[in-house]
Amino acid sequence: MATSELPITHDLDEILRRISDIKHIAGVVVVNKEGVTVKSTLDNSLTAMYSVLVSSLATRAKSIIRDLDPTNELTYLRIKSKKHEVLVAPDEEYILIVVQNPPEPLNS
Amino acid sequence: MGMMVINPDGVAVRTTMDSTHTNSYSAILSRLTDQARSAIRDLDPLNEVTFIRLRSRKNEILIAPDKEFNLIVVQTPADVESNHAKQSTQ
Repeated sequence: MATSELPITHDLDEILRRISDIKHIAGVVVVNKEGVTVKSTLDNSLTAMYSVLVSSLATRAKSIIRDLDPTNELTYLRIKSKKHEVLVAPDEEYILIVVQNPPEPLNS
Repeated sequence: MGMMVINPDGVAVRTTMDSTHTNSYSAILSRLTDQARSAIRDLDPLNEVTFIRLRSRKNEILIAPDKEFNLIVVQTPADVESNHAKQSTQ
């Protein structure tokens, strides 16, 4: 898997494993601000697609929030679709992308 | 804080916010919604976006896209936190 040369600590691995062990989590991708995948639990092709598409969406959302109010900033972005939900947490250096499957609907 | 209904051209057909805010939000958020929709379609042609949520420090923007229109709601995070608090005490 192509990853950039960055210090991946044991803590980071632990955190990513903890997230991906949660029920309904399909995958976790960490992307740097250039859109290069740093770490991923998904296969190569999916990772590549998510990295490119989601990071550009996140960057766009980030600049929208800044344009609307320069003192504000995006804390997270959540895109819900029929089949799954993509949670995006942008940071200064990286973007964390988590793909989760929707929980079973509650029968009321 | 406010809500608006945007038509496919990015024009607000109904709004509870003043025109300055409505105009700023409607155009750029429609474009973001379109970008999100095509991203999800690119990932899986059978999938489609049902909801988008942009959370920032000062507020939260909720977008509910539909076939023709987009519903956009802007709320303060305090509303969200108080809702969570209510849910957890039930």
